Amino acid sequence: MGNYHEMEMRVVYAQTLNELIERNPNIYCLEADLGKASATIPEVSQRNPRNYINSGVQEANMIGVGAGLAREGKIPFCATFTAFATRRCYDQLTISVAYANNNVKIVGTSPGITQGPNGGTHMCFQDLAIMRAMPNMHVYSPADSNELRSVMFYMAASQQPTYMQLVRLKMPKLFEEGTPFDPNQAKRLHAGEDVTLVATGFMTRFALDVVRQLAGEGVKVDLLHYPSVKPFDTQTLIDSARKTGAVVTVENQNIIGGLGSAVCEVLSEQHPVRVKRLGIPDRFGEVADQDYLFAKHGFGPEHIARACRELSNSKP
Amino acid sequence: MSLAGLPRRILLEEKQMTREELDGMAGEFRYVVTDAICRSGVGHIGGVMSLVEIVITLYFRIMKVKPEDPDWPDRDRLVLSKGHAGPIVYTALAYRGFFPKDWLTTINQNGTRLPSHMDQILTPGVEITAGSLGQGLSCACGMALAAKHDGRKHRVFCIIGDGESDEGQIWEAALFAAHNRLDNLVVICDYNKMQIDGRTEEIMNLEPLVDKWRAFGWETFEINGHDWDAIYDTIQKAVTVTGRPAMIIAHTIKGKGNRETEGLVDCHNVKIPDETTYQRFMCGLECKFDLPY
Repeated sequence: MGNYHEMEMRVVYAQTLNELIERNPNIYCLEADLGKASATIPEVSQRNPRNYINSGVQEANMIGVGAGLAREGKIPFCATFTAFATRRCYDQLTISVAYANNNVKIVGTSPGITQGPNGGTHMCFQDLAIMRAMPNMHVYSPADSNELRSVMFYMAASQQPTYMQLVRLKMPKLFEEGTPFDPNQAKRLHAGEDVTLVATGFMTRFALDVVRQLAGEGVKVDLLHYPSVKPFDTQTLIDSARKTGAVVTVENQNIIGGLGSAVCEVLSEQHPVRVKRLGIPDRFGEVADQDYLFAKHGFGPEHIARACRELSNSKP
Repeated sequence: MSLAGLPRRILLEEKQMTREELDGMAGEFRYVVTDAICRSGVGHIGGVMSLVEIVITLYFRIMKVKPEDPDWPDRDRLVLSKGHAGPIVYTALAYRGFFPKDWLTTINQNGTRLPSHMDQILTPGVEITAGSLGQGLSCACGMALAAKHDGRKHRVFCIIGDGESDEGQIWEAALFAAHNRLDNLVVICDYNKMQIDGRTEEIMNLEPLVDKWRAFGWETFEINGHDWDAIYDTIQKAVTVTGRPAMIIAHTIKGKGNRETEGLVDCHNVKIPDETTYQRFMCGLECKFDLPY
């Protein structure tokens, strides 16, 4: 137990699934020939083979089988790369899972630019957007291993069809083990009055680094981390925007439809302030490393810092 | 695979009905379901009429169900993957007592619990939401797998369409069911040889269909899908198959039992805009019955 932040998130995912299966034999681990990539091979496949189902390269069928299992009271966690977990089987997710309200958990691994070496075909920048637009579907994006565990425990106990992004990499520790997860509650990681910064998933660690740096410059940032993009905690955002008067969003996604859009939807209706969205500016990905992609698309730490300074200074 | 020597497991609710009773029920079902679809002004009558004998056999001679307890854990399941044939299953469910027969008059009406395509949330007795073709068979695989893991003895039946068999997901599920030895899964293909845009052999040829399923590792049967004895006897054989799933290719006639639709390629989804058309469709049926509401 413990020290999960010293492990790759995918290993934490697999070990936590084992823990969940051993508490509740109705939990299932489904894979579509990417079990090794998710680390569920060998973690889950060897330790809990009865609850391990590999469909081969059949994402659509995996989701349907998951729906059938859920109809019989099972709780399947179906994992594959984000591109295949969402856009490839979007209609199966829509009808067999969400419309039918079957309690399936979908896990999209290697979101956004963390798909680096596989390049543009595998980089999915729209999964938060398209999954958020699906009625009955919750959408989560945990930022570190301890939060991942809390989110998974929540998912295993809920009756809610859910999509979760899973960064496979090791991530720095942001939260203590056992930090509670409530999809209706954003987390304030740093309090400030000058500008609000909203982040989720992979980008929260970078946002926190930037906020600490800016504090040294005298720019006080109110940093909100949203482990759940849907449901979306509107009140915390509005309270923060009321205080700061300007909001920057950053996400490992297309700026169309994801976290930034969720923020704009809430603020434009309830408390209009200036918003700057950082992320992928409506482009496809390519084979490249993180720094190259941050620089090309303008959503790395320096871009976050610049946007926070600009909006902080631009207030009337 | 030879069935000789296998123990004949009587797992299902065998009901004895005379041929006259069965024919009468089929006629009444065709009359009632035609009325229900025509009242709504539009509906998938072709693929409904081709399934009448198969659905009656399942719900009235074979499947163990408890209408008063639709989620009874030991019930046999039917997944109608070709979800647009919902109205014939609704008719069977109503006559079996899952809900009042007069619900049938609400098919496709505003606020109905009997939508054109199957909905597991809205309708008592409906196992799986289906309508986007190809998905129900995957769900049936998941249900069959769950039953095996739980050591339950009930059977999962699934009806797919021939047009639906164009979908890649059908063949994903075909691989999956054979690989996982889902011998508690019996699938019936409503092979009426027609899809929306024309005959299957012209739009997307499925032949040799039986060979395909056999090659995928399934036990296969081929029957006349309107022959009471063939349907009943073959399902009884199919449920005794061990180690692999069973596919029954049922040769059927689209729109069967109504001269306005039988064997006509344009009967997939008919429009009934007025009383005159309604009367024409009702008069096209072989027998007249009193509506049960």
